[in-house]
Amino acid sequence: MHEKPNKFRVALISGAVIGVVSAIPGLNLLNCCCCAGVWLGGMLAMYLYRQEFTEGMPPLESSDALLLGLMAGVVGAFVSTFLSVAILVVFGPVEAEFLRSLFEKGLERLAEEGTMPSDMVDQFRDQLEGAVRDSARVSSILGNLFIELIVYPIFAILGALLGYALFRPKTPLQPTPAQ
Amino acid sequence: MTKKAFVPIMLQHFSLMNTSKRIFLVFLTLVALWCAGILLAPLLKSAGLSASSILYSFYSSICHQIDGRSLHLAGHKLGVCARCASLYLGFFLALLIYPFLRTLQMKQVPGRLWLFIGVAPMIVDVLLNITGLHASTIATRTVSGLFFGALLPFYLVPPLLEAVAQVIDRLPSRGGLTYARKTEQV
Repeated sequence: MHEKPNKFRVALISGAVIGVVSAIPGLNLLNCCCCAGVWLGGMLAMYLYRQEFTEGMPPLESSDALLLGLMAGVVGAFVSTFLSVAILVVFGPVEAEFLRSLFEKGLERLAEEGTMPSDMVDQFRDQLEGAVRDSARVSSILGNLFIELIVYPIFAILGALLGYALFRPKTPLQPTPAQ
Repeated sequence: MTKKAFVPIMLQHFSLMNTSKRIFLVFLTLVALWCAGILLAPLLKSAGLSASSILYSFYSSICHQIDGRSLHLAGHKLGVCARCASLYLGFFLALLIYPFLRTLQMKQVPGRLWLFIGVAPMIVDVLLNITGLHASTIATRTVSGLFFGALLPFYLVPPLLEAVAQVIDRLPSRGGLTYARKTEQV
């Protein structure tokens, strides 16, 4: 009996995809909808892993999806942080500037409509300035990595499980063992 | 019942449950905590507690949190935008009623078509907004998010319960073996 295919290579590829989607400014807006980019990365991991199965190998199991999602999420968090730092070093805080311009438009509209008092608008502007300045801080980068190490594996696992539900072979499954 | 007696009784009940029920209960608790954080952020902010900024900062990594696109509670926006909040809350509500609709031992998931039907309103809402044909509103974001969120547990719970049960079954403390070794032994 053959062993199952190695998960590490697939986790690296899908983790790299998660990292790229999460770090490239503009593309990372995909993650604004419930980490959709990370979900898709988890699903991709499951799809790629399924392609590696050949005859004679043990069947694909849902625990494979769980482990694969976990690995892809962790890799994704590190790749995303590494790429974000690289982009920050080469291009400066483009992402923070992009978000600031996006929020600025909203603030201007709210100020014009009179929905938000002008002092509150100024307060928000100060906060945005602070966010742009903080984006380059080491503590902020490490804080983001910490949060991503929690969030990305969760969503990548969910994506991989969804992928398993969609791509799994159509053979009947064993019932969950009762205690 | 005193507070002291409550915890041991709950733990005893928990240990008597079968694996599927236990895993489901843990998952339900985690999802409830996730959703509670979303609702707690504005409540803590209105109470003037700094813990709200930790929650907002945590959820900022998964959501844009734009005020105009968010639902509000106690005068402040929720931890995530309206679409995300409704998706998570829909997921949680569906998870609550899940055991009444399907048994936890059931491993089959609905067909792919239902997933596409579930996600379609959200995609249509986003595309109409991007193309400028129809501006998405808080109502359309909330309804489409709720719809998709409520559908997801039916695809995620069966493989999740099965996966965690498999992992538990293979723990070294339970004499865990890989599938290949088990089959060789048989």
